[in-house]
Amino acid sequence: MSEGEAAPRRLHPASLISRSFQILPQMLAGGAGYAAVIQREGFGRILLFAAIAAGLGFVGALLSWWRFRYTIGAGEIVIESGIFHRQRRVIPFDRVQDIAIERRLLARLLGTAKVKIETGGSAADEGTLDMIGLADAVTLRDHIRRWHGGIVPTAAQATAHAADEPILFAMPLSRVLFAGLFNFSLVFLAVLFAALQYLVDFGLLRLEDWLDPKRAGAAGAYFSIPATIGLIAILLALGIVAGVGRTLAREYGFRLTRAVAGFRRRRGLFTLSEAVIPLRRMQLALIESGPIARRLGWYSLSFQTLGADQKEGGVQAAAPFARIEEIEPLLAEARFPSLPPRGDFHQLPRRALLSRALPWLLLAIVPAGAAFLVDPRAAIGAGVVLVMALAAVLRWRKHSWAVGDRAFAVTGGLLKRRTWIVPFDKAQSISVYQGPMQQRLSLATLHVDTAGASLLRTPEIADMDRAEAERLAAHLLGLFYQERARTRAER
Amino acid sequence: MEVQAKAVPVTVADMNPLDPRQIWVLRIRLGIVLLVLLGAALSIDMAIRQEAPGLSGWLPGLVLMVGLTGLILVPGRRYRAWGYAEREDELHIRHGLLTRVQTAVPFGRVQHIDVAQGPVERRFGLARLILHTAGTRGASIPLPGLVQEQAEQMRDRIRAKIQLDLA
Repeated sequence: MSEGEAAPRRLHPASLISRSFQILPQMLAGGAGYAAVIQREGFGRILLFAAIAAGLGFVGALLSWWRFRYTIGAGEIVIESGIFHRQRRVIPFDRVQDIAIERRLLARLLGTAKVKIETGGSAADEGTLDMIGLADAVTLRDHIRRWHGGIVPTAAQATAHAADEPILFAMPLSRVLFAGLFNFSLVFLAVLFAALQYLVDFGLLRLEDWLDPKRAGAAGAYFSIPATIGLIAILLALGIVAGVGRTLAREYGFRLTRAVAGFRRRRGLFTLSEAVIPLRRMQLALIESGPIARRLGWYSLSFQTLGADQKEGGVQAAAPFARIEEIEPLLAEARFPSLPPRGDFHQLPRRALLSRALPWLLLAIVPAGAAFLVDPRAAIGAGVVLVMALAAVLRWRKHSWAVGDRAFAVTGGLLKRRTWIVPFDKAQSISVYQGPMQQRLSLATLHVDTAGASLLRTPEIADMDRAEAERLAAHLLGLFYQERARTRAER
Repeated sequence: MEVQAKAVPVTVADMNPLDPRQIWVLRIRLGIVLLVLLGAALSIDMAIRQEAPGLSGWLPGLVLMVGLTGLILVPGRRYRAWGYAEREDELHIRHGLLTRVQTAVPFGRVQHIDVAQGPVERRFGLARLILHTAGTRGASIPLPGLVQEQAEQMRDRIRAKIQLDLA
């Protein structure tokens, strides 16, 4: 493509195929469902409705393909879309933060790619070109990069350059498979149950028959103790296999290289994805580890980035399964401070236990009383609540925080242990919360808001001493200014 | 050292209260909610009057009692829970009755600022200042109960200090 070329283009026609694959099942199911609700006149009619719905879906996909056009200008890309409601989006190149190229299995068969143009904005699919020719995708990426960098590498040079980038971290097949063992997953069970539900819904299967006492002789065989143990063993084995499979599909050929402005990550067996995690947009580092992997010394490192794909909670994996010795150089390369030494971590005050475990203990009184007075089986409820109280106590023990040279660290988590490293200058706002219980016990929760965080998992220090929390908040604010002034001066 | 100078927590005593008219804004807002609830209670009461005449009048009465008590007690307390302190480089805001929150927003982190005014606030000449950051949980930080001119002056002062920098 030459500079300043302004002819509008359409997506690769193959995108019709993938779009159809996405829409068809829904349309088929919708049509069939509609027919089933409207009249119950047999299978033929249902098929007819399904076919009509599928046809409509295809026409819709065709129209939206026809109306989707993108134009690559000298300094911007213009994307027009919409069948009735026309939308025209202009993305200036200097707003583009990153261009990710993703290739699913179908795309790889067809020689196409999906290009995601990420800007700092919040919408996840701001500029997504789902399926353009691979060559076009690479040219577009290089075009935008060239515009940014000022250097003008030829296409061949750019590719060679990407291949020459120093490797920061890579996972050989053996490690991917080993990592899979820890990704035990029972997702397939959900799929199985969903399938079963469908069969029941469509009257193809009757669960009542299975549980019919008249056929208890047959059913009883399913529930004998050896059979149950066998079943559990099979489920566990399947769970491990599913975990290995999922990990293999996602992390196969994992390679993290040092790109000009950040880390370039390539991975995937069927869906090959390539993304750059820009250094400037990294907000905090997160080191995670499950209970068993931790015993064996395996951890994962990810970075929370600004405006990243919201589906992943703004968290980008940099090393999914690594030793701490492998993670520390990555942190250093990202210009992140390393973990403060273990001795620097502060525990929570003992009375924080009250705020955490007391509500559960009080709650346990109800079922415990019921167990004595009404029905002994209520003791199970009391047991569950007591386990929750115990979990709260263990959480209290594992929750600690430290203030390092350039970042503060928070660690916590009962089974999966998480450690956040938050550079001082990445704070957006600093808050001290005090709930009703905390006010009584003069405790407080310190929360440092960062960009791109997920709502559930944020680095907060819950149940600190109140005065200490206020001092730390003021201290962190001071460190924020200091560190910000320092990074400004460095730039 | 600079850090030491800054590392003094901003206490409740250092903070400015909101404009006293904000109590009325809070009262009127709560009053409107109460009227809606009372309407709902009355319609439920009408519906069950036939089946259970003995229960008639209890629900609206209860709503009225609890509501009036709340109307007397809550707005004043909520008003007093608010406070703010504008410093050289950041704004400190505290609020919340049940859960108390005190937040510091460095001006360098503010992405954009709104001055908003609801219908009730307009009657009293009050406005709300809203600071938007790139953060997640506390991405927009409101400060209600400012006299409108004051809110606008604050907005202009803060805007002058904002440096748009996402890093």
